[in-house]
Amino acid sequence: MKSLDPRVNRLPETPKDIVPKAPLDQFGTFEVFVQPKEGKPFQHEGIVHAPELEMAYVLAKEAFTRRFTCTSLYVVDTRSVFVSPLAEGTTNAYDLLEQKQEQHSISEDTFEIYHLLKRGKQHVHIGTVKASTPDAAMQQAKTMFNTSTPVMNIWAIRTKDIRFTEESEKDLWGTLPEKKFRDAASYKGGDKLKTFLERNSQAL
Amino acid sequence: MSEEQAIALKELLYKIADDQLILGHRNSEWTGFGPLLEEDIAFSSMAQDKIGQSYALYQMLHHAGEQAPDTVAFMRHADQFHNCVLVELPNGEYDFSLIRHFLFDTAEALRFDMLTRSSFEPLADLAKKIKGELRYHTLHANTWIKQLGNATPESIARLQTSLNYALPYALGIFEPSPNENIIMDAGFFQGEASLQAEWQSRVISILEQTQLNLPDWKTVTPILGGRIGKHSQHLQPLLDEMSEVFKIDPTAEW
Repeated sequence: MKSLDPRVNRLPETPKDIVPKAPLDQFGTFEVFVQPKEGKPFQHEGIVHAPELEMAYVLAKEAFTRRFTCTSLYVVDTRSVFVSPLAEGTTNAYDLLEQKQEQHSISEDTFEIYHLLKRGKQHVHIGTVKASTPDAAMQQAKTMFNTSTPVMNIWAIRTKDIRFTEESEKDLWGTLPEKKFRDAASYKGGDKLKTFLERNSQAL
Repeated sequence: MSEEQAIALKELLYKIADDQLILGHRNSEWTGFGPLLEEDIAFSSMAQDKIGQSYALYQMLHHAGEQAPDTVAFMRHADQFHNCVLVELPNGEYDFSLIRHFLFDTAEALRFDMLTRSSFEPLADLAKKIKGELRYHTLHANTWIKQLGNATPESIARLQTSLNYALPYALGIFEPSPNENIIMDAGFFQGEASLQAEWQSRVISILEQTQLNLPDWKTVTPILGGRIGKHSQHLQPLLDEMSEVFKIDPTAEW
């Protein structure tokens, strides 16, 4: 059946011939990190689909920070995130890291390190290390950021792969606290319904 | 402020506010129909920003003795609107909406940047306040144009067709006001001519990074009239739809 709205396209008809399933026509994914307040660490908020890094930044800004206060945001290609083994229970992800043969490399990069402390929580930025490989970065992080609290999962991302918010772009969120109309809590739907029902019962 | 300055200032505020309101409404028609979820949200948010900016300007006009913002927005007939024709054109396909967004928002960001130095303080304050919003709008527009302006033969051809169609309307943004000299002498605004010059060089600098071509500016005839209430047939149906709820119940609120 055709929709009444000319802009709506219904699902295509099922083909009569037996054909292979088409791949999803989708962009790649980018990881989005948000800083909720000045001085607070960046935390992982989710992903956006985009054709490339700068587009991902532009799309992430409204997808993840159109409500509530926020001071900064950055994005990185999902494929640039290096992930440690996942620890269970009281095991520490740092203890699951394999000690790899030290690769002697002349060039070192800085890596941003993130900890996931509990299932269902977010990866939170914990610090920066210098290393030549993601494996070495995690070993480096183990000596610097490993405490008695078990870490469930560790991420390492090369700093140069990240699209950061520049200092001059910090005003992107300047008027956000005033946009209460984007917050469901500022619509007193219950109160309006109550007034409506009272008015109707009086009319009867 | 002299009487003729007050009239000139009102005219300036009305045309900026009407541009923001009408394009804000047009862009909001994409809500739920954007080409991808993330873009749907971004485009809708920017539409909200524009309507918020028009509201702030209508409040300034209200302080200057004009009717309340809702009355001004919902009760005027098309020929009482001062927006340029570009902003009232139907959305068409996304390529046109993006090109319009790019051409208009480039001008809008430059206009408000000039207005941060306006001698009319409330306007200068508003311009400073919304700088971040406009920074995002132009970042969004430029990024999309650079992306699709270099992507595939189809995306480039679509943008080029829309660009050719939109340019005469875009020049209508800068339709000079009969009060242009009063506005400039009073220091309210630097004037449409200097805005257009800055706009052209900004547009060129972005499009140079794409495979899109600009025609010789001398061959583009501006489509004027919007600023004096001469609109296309598309504005009145937009106003009728936008004001539907207000006309049924002027006290309705969300």
